[in-house]
Amino acid sequence: METQKNLTSFLYQFLENSSEKTSLDWFTLQAEKIHSEGSPTKFFLAFSQASRYFKKLPFNLSEDQMKKASELIPGFDPSHWDLLQTARTILLLEFPQEKIAWFKAINQLFETGDMHEQQALYSALSIMPFPEDLLARAIDGCRTNMTVIFDAIALNNAFPAKYFPGANWNQMVLKAVFMQRPLYRIQKLEERRNLPLANIASDFAHERWAAGRPVMAEIWRLVVPFLNEKFLDDLKKALSSEDVLQIKAAVLACTESDFAPAQELVKAYPEILKGIESGSVSWAEIGVEFQTRV
Amino acid sequence: MYLDPHIHVVSRTTDDYEAMRKAGIVAVIEPAFWLGQPRTEVGSFKDYFSTLVGWERFRASQFGIVHYCTMGLNSKEANNVALAEQVMELLPLYVGKEGVVAIGEIGYDDQTEAEDRFYRLQLELAKDVNLPVLIHTPHRDKKKGTTRSMDVSEEHGLDPKMVIVDHNNEETVKEVLDRGYWAGFTIYPHTKMGSDRMVDIVKQYGPERIIVNSAADWGISDPLAVPKTAAIMRKMGIPEEHIRMVTYQNALTAFSQSGQMDEQDWLNAKPVDQTRKLSGSSVLRGGQTPRVEGNSETVEN
Repeated sequence: METQKNLTSFLYQFLENSSEKTSLDWFTLQAEKIHSEGSPTKFFLAFSQASRYFKKLPFNLSEDQMKKASELIPGFDPSHWDLLQTARTILLLEFPQEKIAWFKAINQLFETGDMHEQQALYSALSIMPFPEDLLARAIDGCRTNMTVIFDAIALNNAFPAKYFPGANWNQMVLKAVFMQRPLYRIQKLEERRNLPLANIASDFAHERWAAGRPVMAEIWRLVVPFLNEKFLDDLKKALSSEDVLQIKAAVLACTESDFAPAQELVKAYPEILKGIESGSVSWAEIGVEFQTRV
Repeated sequence: MYLDPHIHVVSRTTDDYEAMRKAGIVAVIEPAFWLGQPRTEVGSFKDYFSTLVGWERFRASQFGIVHYCTMGLNSKEANNVALAEQVMELLPLYVGKEGVVAIGEIGYDDQTEAEDRFYRLQLELAKDVNLPVLIHTPHRDKKKGTTRSMDVSEEHGLDPKMVIVDHNNEETVKEVLDRGYWAGFTIYPHTKMGSDRMVDIVKQYGPERIIVNSAADWGISDPLAVPKTAAIMRKMGIPEEHIRMVTYQNALTAFSQSGQMDEQDWLNAKPVDQTRKLSGSSVLRGGQTPRVEGNSETVEN
């Protein structure tokens, strides 16, 4: 209850700073009504009509605010949210959290939501109540073909790392690779690396090479803890590429591994090693750079 | 720049979308309608409505076309009363959504009692949420059905300027315009209007409140009917400003009364880039190379 209140007031500050007074008045009234009456119809209507009052404009979080978000709910990261989805999330938090009625309403919203409504819902998974019961919904959401919805679940969201079983986690990461989404924005990607996923990543790279298509550089991050002769062959292939991003990623993967032949191999790339040392070459930097190309 | 304010793009292919964009169509309105055969479960309506505000909108955007829709229970399926009642309960979930520009297409098909009942209920819904209404006029007994649609709308206190009466022909247009309504014309081979007849109507009645659309769907129809009709009008010497009104501006003025449609949506849209598709979807499967320009001889890698 307390967390929920803190969450709503934390999120409200972003609306307050960048919305018109008439919008805020409408919003406050709706939030109060939803909270006190718990009427699904009012909730649904306000949830969709929020688009008439709030724009899909991003807002900036200060470092302190980022910290505060994660204190409220570990891993909570609204840094890629817009005003409209923030407003919708607050309305959602205001709806009384009585389990049966709550799921009835939320399921209805998920099933009838337009793209941006669904984006708001999935992005807020980590701050919703009853997370264990939302798992099936989150897994199903990953089957979408709409990028914004997939991103809402997979990127900057604490939910998958915390709740997805191994197989579903791997499916999500592979789909992110397939859709060329920025892997560095997947929370706890490193902590949840595993050998089956590394093998899947390697197979995927071979498929791409066979088709004469480029391979996403960030993929090599997935093989690091399991580096062996087989994966090293893949990295050698990446190193032989003309694409500097591939080379950077392969060198970085080698340096992070404790596989001796990999350590040996990268000595031929002193410039990149310097970059890694200074921090100018990192997975995030590689991911950002790759996204400018897709 | 053209609008096609009545087209059922869920039934069209990506080739159509590409051709439409190439021909200058910047935005479309997809009225909720029937699917060629009657639905038997309310869940089919729910998923259809969700598609209109979800996947289809996204699909259109990937071809640089802004997609809007209207929500409603069509007159044919209003005759399944038990089902229609459930659909009426569903509609409030959708009418407030972004990009829903009218209640429609509603009205009469066989002009039965059930059709009348659900038409009236939806007129009331439109009033409640302050949305325009898109009226589907019947194929059979058209003239009487059109008159009745307007009579009933007025009985419920709707302002004619909030109502678009669609599928007009030479027999209905005069009364519709005289009574202050927007008059839609569907260029649809065999059953509705042809482009040449459309030219004559614009010559005779002028461009005020006349709206051209394709109503292209799963039948033999043409998603390029609007730009093609504009081309014929041009050839037949209709002034450019009149062409602009009937193929763009009038539809925009009528449907933007919803507050859900704005020229800026396409004038300031992100540039059409299928590269956005590459970055994450969908219509192009993972890693396909984006193809923006016309047809090619080979399937690209």
